[in-house]
Amino acid sequence: MSPEVALNRISPELRPLLCSVVRNGRVGLDSTNCLRVTDLKTGCTSLTPGPCCDRFKLHIPYAGETLKWDIIFNARDPELPPDFIFGEDAEFLPEPSELPHLVQWDAGDPECLLQLVKELIQQYHQYQCQRLRESSRLLFEYDSLLEDPNYSRSMEIYAGHKNSWTGEFSARFLLKLPVDFSNIPVYLLKDTTLDPGEDVALLSVSFEDAEATQVFPKLYLSPSIEHALGGSSALHIPAFPSGGCLIDYVPQVCQLLTNKVQYVIQGYHKRREYIAAFLSHFGMGVVEYDAEGFTKLTLLLMWKDFCFLVHGLCKRLVSKKLAKLLNLLPSLDQLSLAKYILSQSN
Amino acid sequence: MTPRGASVYRWDVSIMAASISGYTFSSVCYHSANSNSDHEGFLLGEVRHEETVSISDTQISSSELLQVVEVHNHEPCAQLFSFYDYAGQVNEESLNRILKDRRKNVIGWYRFRRNTQQQMSFREQIIHKQLTQLLGVPDLVFLLFSFISTANNSTHALEYVLFRPNRRYNQRVTLSIPNLGNTSQQEYKVSSVPNTSLNYAKVIKEHGAEFFDKDGVMKDIRTIFQVYGALQDKVQSVCGEVEQSERVKEKVQEEVNKLKQQIVLRKRKTTDEERRLQEAQNPEPRLTPEENTEPPETSLLSRVAFHTPSTPERPGPSANPPAYADLLSLQNDSLLPFSSSPTSAALLPRPQAVGSPGHPSPSPLGLGLSAGPNPAAGQEDDEEDDDDDSSEYENLVSEVGQLPPVSASVLLQGRPAALSPDGDASVRGSQT
Repeated sequence: MSPEVALNRISPELRPLLCSVVRNGRVGLDSTNCLRVTDLKTGCTSLTPGPCCDRFKLHIPYAGETLKWDIIFNARDPELPPDFIFGEDAEFLPEPSELPHLVQWDAGDPECLLQLVKELIQQYHQYQCQRLRESSRLLFEYDSLLEDPNYSRSMEIYAGHKNSWTGEFSARFLLKLPVDFSNIPVYLLKDTTLDPGEDVALLSVSFEDAEATQVFPKLYLSPSIEHALGGSSALHIPAFPSGGCLIDYVPQVCQLLTNKVQYVIQGYHKRREYIAAFLSHFGMGVVEYDAEGFTKLTLLLMWKDFCFLVHGLCKRLVSKKLAKLLNLLPSLDQLSLAKYILSQSN
Repeated sequence: MTPRGASVYRWDVSIMAASISGYTFSSVCYHSANSNSDHEGFLLGEVRHEETVSISDTQISSSELLQVVEVHNHEPCAQLFSFYDYAGQVNEESLNRILKDRRKNVIGWYRFRRNTQQQMSFREQIIHKQLTQLLGVPDLVFLLFSFISTANNSTHALEYVLFRPNRRYNQRVTLSIPNLGNTSQQEYKVSSVPNTSLNYAKVIKEHGAEFFDKDGVMKDIRTIFQVYGALQDKVQSVCGEVEQSERVKEKVQEEVNKLKQQIVLRKRKTTDEERRLQEAQNPEPRLTPEENTEPPETSLLSRVAFHTPSTPERPGPSANPPAYADLLSLQNDSLLPFSSSPTSAALLPRPQAVGSPGHPSPSPLGLGLSAGPNPAAGQEDDEEDDDDDSSEYENLVSEVGQLPPVSASVLLQGRPAALSPDGDASVRGSQT
């Protein structure tokens, strides 16, 4: 259900509350997408003319899972705070005193519902951390990460239910990696109305058993980062070492990512220099060039009434050979340059 | 499982059942369906406990504890948040204002919400915990109603689930509504849920005197109880009479047996004397019947006595005639001065079985005296219990030598009161 459809069907008095949720609602570490709303229903009689929907299901991404919570309003009493059904987490019962936006519910504040949901997520996180006590090994992982300020506040944990027959217990850690992506080239989307979102790298580590013998890590990157790094296949993270722990593994992945980012940034700058050098030398002969990523350049050259186009393609980092070419550029004539580029492209 | 004793075990099963009267249920549905938003209220009724203990041959007794929740009435709330705030904190004053003096009758509360899951919500759980404490009902129940409608509003389903959230397991309880369902194959049941309506109570009070007595019990019931009591008294007195008559009968039987013994002894003595006289006078063969001036019984007795060995004790006839070997051993133990030679005893006709055509009917009275061995054989003849004594006497005499010796304790055994299969003979004497 698209946000517009949901907003059209919701009761008018509740529309502002829902609007902030579906348009600006980013909760948790995975804030690439807004919160999603489905199953809009009404608590009024079927004879009540629409739009009068006042209850819906809210999909919240959390620790790689999607929580499906029912939020129940009453269209006849829009000033009253909503009630919640926490889906499969029937044992999750937050403390009302820890939910200030519920205790002092203000129906006139459009952000009230969104803030309440965020507070509930915090309580949910506490609830999941408590459930880690089923496994001492996983609790150790959590406590060790908690001590590191880089990760303590950027962590989401989802603890699965313990299988009473096999005793198996699984959990997933979702961590936001503290990598600086600010210098990564700006990624321009074709559709300017879509917000690409925050640049974020999330590391998900799934422990399939309580003794950490089956651990599956996975790296999630926001679209701009993924594009900048050359797609999902460009970056391979190492496997989780047997007997290892998160406090050692996560910094390792962080460093790998940081190196890659630096590599990309350097490459970008180098390519830009490369293009700039060509432009300055063959300014009038430049047909076109990639002004965003500086990966392509087309020159129109002439030698003794023979005109030819030279297409230059530079995907990543400028190689040493090309770097050498840049140094020689001022002294090269057009023919030599064409010959050189042709030989390098082979 | 609680061990009791050496090998008896007990299984305790706790079950909860709930029922709501049809009119209360329809009233709640009516209030809810007409509400344009969520609706809530309290359930009034009572909780009773039943324990059923089943004992089987395997010595494993199982005890089933049944907790029955009966909903008599409901108290709807006028609006939402009428007794709690935004945080779900229950206000006891508001609660008392709603419930008034019916607070002690509260056994649960209910909530109605359309198009939602059949699951307790966050606020409902918070409120339920507080109500449990405030109302002092450990097993407070929660009834959740929900209307589920299809997208085109063509079909609406009313769903209801009863929860007992204070239990960890089996939180859902089946709610039964008497007579709601397919009654075509069932009788119309009387609900155990009483009617607490004031108007009903008024009418019953007005016209109740025709049917109820001062204690509130139906007169018919009291009359039936009186009949039952009278019957019980009668049975008790009859039991006493039967016992007395049985004892009298026993005594009479003993006397009869004694008299019979005396008769036998006397006859024996008479026979012995006659024999001696005869032997002393004349060793010829015995007298012809025409010349015999002795009473027929004596001659018969003498004939019988000559041919059959007798024993000092009255043998007590049994249905199992003795074998020839037994007869021989009896002969050896006989106190008679003369007895038949072993060869003559061996030539005696084999006693026939009881009931056979050639065998005279044994005395049922005598058979009763030896009730231990094979009483069944004697039951056929119990109908002759009160028949002519002379025939019994003859039969008894004819069987004297044929029956094995019976101990005195057996002879003195009273006849069991309920021995015969037809039942008539045993109770004939005791019927009043």
